Amino acid sequence: MAARWSSENVVVEFRDAQATAMSVDCLGHYAVLSGRRFLYVVNLEAPSEAPRKISRQSKWDVGTVQWNPHKSEAHIFAASSNQRVDLYVWRDGCGESHTSLQGHTRVISDLDWSWFEPELLVTSSVDTYIYIWDTRDTRKPTGALSAVAGASQVKWNKKNQHCLASSHDGDVRIWDRRKPNTAVEYVAAHLSKIHGLDWHPDNEYILATSSQDNSVRFWDYRQPRKYLNILSCQVPVWKARYTPFSNGLVTVMVPQLRRENSLLLWSTLDLNSPVHAFVGHDDVVLEFQWRPQKEGSKDCQLVTWSRDQTLRIWRVDPQLQKLCASDIVEELMEGMTLTTESEKTLRSQEPPLSPSLTSDDLQGQFEASSGRQDPAGLVQTLQQEFSLVNLQIRNVNVEMDAVNRTCFVSAHCGANQVRLVVKFPAQYPNNAAPSFQFVPPTTISSSMKTKIQKILTDTSLQKVKRNQNCLEPCVRQLVSCLESDAEDGTNPHVFSNSVSPALPAFPRVTNTYGSYQDANIPFPRTSGARFCGTGSLVYFTRPMSMHRTVPPTEPTPRSLSALSAYHSGLMTPMKMRSESQSTLRLYSGSPTRTDKEQVSISSFYYKERKSRRWKGKREGTDYSNKTLKLAGKVIIQDISCLLPIHKALGEAYILNMNDIRDTCQKNAAAALTVGRRDLAKVWALASAATSLDLYPDSDPDTDTPWARHPFGRQLLETLLEHYSQMSDVQTLAMLCSVFRGQGIPQDYFTLYGPRSSGFTLHHSRYPSFTSSSVTSGSCSSTSDSISAPWNMAGRDAEQALPWGESSPDEVRYANQAYTDPREREKEQHDMNKRLLDPANTLQYDDFKKCYGEILHRWGLKEKRAEVLKFVSCPPEPHKGIEFGVYCCHCRSQARGTQCAVCKRFTFQCAICHVAVRGSSNFCLSCGHGGHTSHMMEWFRSQEVCPTGCGCHCLLQSTF
Amino acid sequence: MVSVINTVDTSHEDMIHDAQMDYYGTRLATCSSDRSVKIFDVKNGGQILVADLRGHEGPVWQVAWAHPTYGNILASCSYDRKVIIWKEENGTWDKMYKYTGHNSSVNSICWGPYDFGLILACGSSDGAISILTYTGDGQWDIKKINNAHTIGCNAVSWAPAVVPGSLIDQPTGQKPNYVKRFVSGGCDNLVKLWKEEDGQWKEDQKLEAHSDWVRDVGWAPSIGLPTSTIASCSQDGRVFIWTCDDPSGNTWTAKLLHKFNDVVWHVSWSITGNILAVSGGDNKVTLWKESVGGQWACISDVNKGQGAVSSITDGQQNEQ
Repeated sequence: MAARWSSENVVVEFRDAQATAMSVDCLGHYAVLSGRRFLYVVNLEAPSEAPRKISRQSKWDVGTVQWNPHKSEAHIFAASSNQRVDLYVWRDGCGESHTSLQGHTRVISDLDWSWFEPELLVTSSVDTYIYIWDTRDTRKPTGALSAVAGASQVKWNKKNQHCLASSHDGDVRIWDRRKPNTAVEYVAAHLSKIHGLDWHPDNEYILATSSQDNSVRFWDYRQPRKYLNILSCQVPVWKARYTPFSNGLVTVMVPQLRRENSLLLWSTLDLNSPVHAFVGHDDVVLEFQWRPQKEGSKDCQLVTWSRDQTLRIWRVDPQLQKLCASDIVEELMEGMTLTTESEKTLRSQEPPLSPSLTSDDLQGQFEASSGRQDPAGLVQTLQQEFSLVNLQIRNVNVEMDAVNRTCFVSAHCGANQVRLVVKFPAQYPNNAAPSFQFVPPTTISSSMKTKIQKILTDTSLQKVKRNQNCLEPCVRQLVSCLESDAEDGTNPHVFSNSVSPALPAFPRVTNTYGSYQDANIPFPRTSGARFCGTGSLVYFTRPMSMHRTVPPTEPTPRSLSALSAYHSGLMTPMKMRSESQSTLRLYSGSPTRTDKEQVSISSFYYKERKSRRWKGKREGTDYSNKTLKLAGKVIIQDISCLLPIHKALGEAYILNMNDIRDTCQKNAAAALTVGRRDLAKVWALASAATSLDLYPDSDPDTDTPWARHPFGRQLLETLLEHYSQMSDVQTLAMLCSVFRGQGIPQDYFTLYGPRSSGFTLHHSRYPSFTSSSVTSGSCSSTSDSISAPWNMAGRDAEQALPWGESSPDEVRYANQAYTDPREREKEQHDMNKRLLDPANTLQYDDFKKCYGEILHRWGLKEKRAEVLKFVSCPPEPHKGIEFGVYCCHCRSQARGTQCAVCKRFTFQCAICHVAVRGSSNFCLSCGHGGHTSHMMEWFRSQEVCPTGCGCHCLLQSTF
Repeated sequence: MVSVINTVDTSHEDMIHDAQMDYYGTRLATCSSDRSVKIFDVKNGGQILVADLRGHEGPVWQVAWAHPTYGNILASCSYDRKVIIWKEENGTWDKMYKYTGHNSSVNSICWGPYDFGLILACGSSDGAISILTYTGDGQWDIKKINNAHTIGCNAVSWAPAVVPGSLIDQPTGQKPNYVKRFVSGGCDNLVKLWKEEDGQWKEDQKLEAHSDWVRDVGWAPSIGLPTSTIASCSQDGRVFIWTCDDPSGNTWTAKLLHKFNDVVWHVSWSITGNILAVSGGDNKVTLWKESVGGQWACISDVNKGQGAVSSITDGQQNEQ
């Protein structure tokens, strides 16, 4: 047990304590440390004295220990141990456990004494209950709050005696102990577990939560949806507690990767950077508490206990306290060390990247960018510099002696060894540089000594001219000098990997990209793959030269705020050899760059410069100027072979309903050419099933239609199911089209149908929006979707439907309309004889539409139109201008070419006197017209109406 | 054979965040942290830079091509909280519309099926989802679902335009009764389904399975089968396939496709809806295919065996 005194703090080591928890009593006399075998009571007035021990018999560690905060009960403290709370009394230098509180069924996670009633104690446990105990009746809790979820923290409000808060994973619940059944308020505070909860000392509604999600958030529980403020950190936050003096906050991080044990003091008014870092502990800080101010003393004392088994007492003088209170921090900066300094000084001594950029230039940039210029006359004590200096450099040992204002730097690099005495004059760092002197056992040559001496003097002068500390930059310069020398001096700019990256006490984000701290924005994708078109896969990945700065075992961060960690250097890569241009860009608000925003996602990755490999081959080449690509290539792959559909088949397949057998044979042959033997067989089956001798009789009494045969509808449905599972929409759509064609009476096709597969029957009730093929003067109602331009393709083509087919509901609902049983039977037969189940017509339509879409993407528009002819579903009702027609037979108003009343064609061509079914053109003036082709021909040479009505159609209809 | 048909050097100055080809597969749009969107003509293996679209003031996260029925239209969304809709007119690309209604980074955009007109869904870190509908004459109608995902919305994807319960007959002569639906994923670890009812967007379903932020969702294209399928991926490394056979769309069942070691950023369905491309923080692309038995299997590691073009995984240094 040894105590080391320094002007800054008290350090007491309790090597055997193995204490897990600590508490300071309300009078500031004692601290209790709870080890497994003993509780140690340390007299804070004389901490180096041997502590008093209270033995305890338990195989469990103490979870939480807390002194009663009331002066009247100041001799009592509570310690939780597994499911039990023991109450201890400390009197006259000895203590004993006088009673236990038992009630919880699982381990107790936290306990807290009430600020108002000295007898009240609250405990939380993973057993989901929060118990309130009255120490006067210890048999059972006086109150129980049922939280359903296990709690990690519970804290009494400091201003409202009934109010308390508990944390459950990422949520906070606010309770009124008079209403134990439900929480008064829920705050979805964090995304991950909350480690710490603290009520504001003066405001009843405000609390601070610290969490695994790397943030401290401040809440007014009356507005549970939005935090008041957030302090984003780069590591999980273990505890965050308000200071007893105004507006301060102390945080302890959960150390990650490295031994980052900093205890930081913040001003809640400015969360951009901490006010102070308490540096000293070598391991996790387990607990910190404020020692009440002594009468007459303005200093506050922070008592900390760390896993390094030391208890430290930190003095927080009024100046430091004021820093938290003031929102004009800058004005009070005098005399204060900013931890940023170490980062800044470290940065500025990076070796120049290219000959044009000297370190001096860089330094200027850093300072310009740092935004927080050192006010003139900023004085820093040597002790402060020593306590904050970051010298975790391999092979370097620095012994600092603040009293004698000297320090010894020992470094060895290869066979060389250097020992250097640095003496700091009294005025340092106010324009007074330290002296450097080599002492034995230094082994380097005298020329090297001179060189190093000069470099160090230059570096230190540069710094002290600005009243800045120079120890750290000097040591780093020394190391880089030695190492470049060791590497034969051929490349003085290679920064050896033995220099560990900057480890600033906390990460800093400059204001330019302050919003990058936003923890809600997901971490950007740097690789991705997307299926595009029909058979392409477009993908991009991070370029090969970009490596993640974190080991691959660590998952990629989820939010963009993680970036700030990478560019601040907190988690800089272990094997980073040199600062790349772009990372450098992050640190410097280089005036040469116009970019306002320097941080980039690429800073998460560092660029391999391949210097090792290149060095031998290309001696002397200035590879540092080679620009490294941050963007990889975008690769387009043809993956159509993985798909069940084939463009070649889309082109080759035909749908000729006049000769189904031929269609099937040709399609089978096409399937063979692309290697789909299964499809060849399917087409052979289709051919057989559609054979004319199986054609159903129209008389329901003759025999069972083929569709009812197992090889009929059943077979077809099995096929469709199979290809559905394969997602082969091409086959599905083709089969449905062929069998739909087959199901429709043969005369349909011979009468109205296409005479060849190349010609499509169309009719449209709608004038085309793009009357490109139309003679001027007449309003066209072309619907020839084959020749029509395709800019309205999707719509047009679906209008182009075969008409006269019965839609499924006609089929279905018709049953109800017919009263004659024979009609009904005929109807039934009509359905039975179809190979495709009419009940699924809509689904079959969807296959065709989907395949039509794919054909469209392939650019096979005619094929698409052919397939879509077999869709039964009506098109979307037309919303544009429509021409009303009076049926020429019954004079009733009709839409389209067929009269709904008399079922005959509504009009005849003025030239050929044949009913018009396809595209037609009419004169808007006289109303005469006819087949588009006839009209076009007529008006090529004529101006008046072909009917002889005397209308000058071309002139009249011009608009 | 899966073959590389084109390798496009985008010359972006910073990392690429998305790349997408248009409807016909003739043009490629890419976006990057360098705040630009680039369009390349990639017909017949070429790579001609057609346009370099500048207008965003932050990294551009995603691009989306609209259906060509409405012209050549591309949307892009960015960290700068904006969504810009670009249109090509007479060979030049210009801003058609700029949407600035979000308070934080816009992370995802998706055009709806063309049957619904020009309609774009945007998901933002402010937790809201906006639905922009073109109403003609340069006017856009905006509907915003506030607090769609607490903390933030990371992905949106439209459902294909299929009539709910396709097998139920529709009255003849009427417009098919399409219901507009889309799926979204967010920082609340949830996948949510949204449905338009009487012009209002309503939360239809909430799918819970992920244990961390949902990074992407993808509604599989329909080939006309009654099953709806959605893929979702998350920071937790899991990819789930959600299916719903129920015509009312209420019962969704989740199937774990795979648990990856690192975050999964993106899922993409093939046009036939039976292959899923998965990519994430491990810098790899894997393709997954559903077998006839309904099992998902990794069919290819796209990166394998292509030394020059493919990326490598961390840790293994390629000495080429």
